[in-house]
Amino acid sequence: MNPLGALSDEVSKLVSNIATQPMIGWATTFTPFIILIFLFALILILVSARHLKLVPQNRFMGIMEFFVSFTSDNIGYGVIGESAKRHLPFLLTLFVFLLLSNLFGIIPGLRPASGTMGVTVCLALISYIYYTVQGVKARGGWHYIKSIGPAGIKPWPLGAFIWILELISNLLRMLTLSVRLFANMFAGHIMLGVLATLCSLFIEAAIASLGGMTVAFGGIGLLWLLLLVVMYALEVFVAVIQAYVFTMLSSVYVFLATSEH
Amino acid sequence: MTALAVLGYGLAAIGGGIGVGLAGLGATQAVARQPEMYSRIFTVFILSAAMSEALGLLGFVLFFIAH
Repeated sequence: MNPLGALSDEVSKLVSNIATQPMIGWATTFTPFIILIFLFALILILVSARHLKLVPQNRFMGIMEFFVSFTSDNIGYGVIGESAKRHLPFLLTLFVFLLLSNLFGIIPGLRPASGTMGVTVCLALISYIYYTVQGVKARGGWHYIKSIGPAGIKPWPLGAFIWILELISNLLRMLTLSVRLFANMFAGHIMLGVLATLCSLFIEAAIASLGGMTVAFGGIGLLWLLLLVVMYALEVFVAVIQAYVFTMLSSVYVFLATSEH
Repeated sequence: MTALAVLGYGLAAIGGGIGVGLAGLGATQAVARQPEMYSRIFTVFILSAAMSEALGLLGFVLFFIAH
């Protein structure tokens, strides 16, 4: 009896379960989790706004203050510099949403809201529109359009050619931002699902065979379980890192669009 | 066809692996030279590792979409 025989069926079931399915009307299977994130963020903000003190009084407020100061110091002022204050609301909103959605997705039974292409493309579009508008505000329309390419290239056709290349790379930022987040979340969940499936298949085989192979199949099943636990820890790390990377890159793009160089 | 797709993903993983390895190499050398810059170097390392890792993950996702 081969426990790997059913793996391919199980994996295709798993993939179609994780992929976006339409639910009622315009809602998909991911919509409840986006609403859940908004409610949770609202509760966090309301609770921490009520307990706002000069010195944080308890552990919860300590964590919230650390979160805000990390975002403003490391992502905001660390990248953009002095003018970061006006961009902090945008960066914090992005970071809170991504962190909550990635971390909720790690909990078994829930889905990551960022594990679907629709959400990540929208987030990347918001980021793109935000830094373009900020760039136009900071420099004026014509100067912003000129600043996409490098200035001061002598024969003007060469400068125009480089400007077109830079424009393409500027537009591709939307694609890379959205696909990076989506691929990380999707791939991580497929990997955890495959490991869990392998573990259950081997333990089922161990129970069914009831003979010399029981110990071998059971041992392999427990090894898959161990690997699953290790990968779960890695996925928690990846969830935080990807939220950080998305916010950090948005911050870098805002800096590039608004700074004088 | 599945074997080809798995092979393709293996090839895609080479590039991502080399990229993350180079980023780690550069970060270790930089920290060894200037340990006091650890936090800024770590930020840059995480950013570049995430960028090259995304290419490998693209191959992984394409495998499941094409499957």
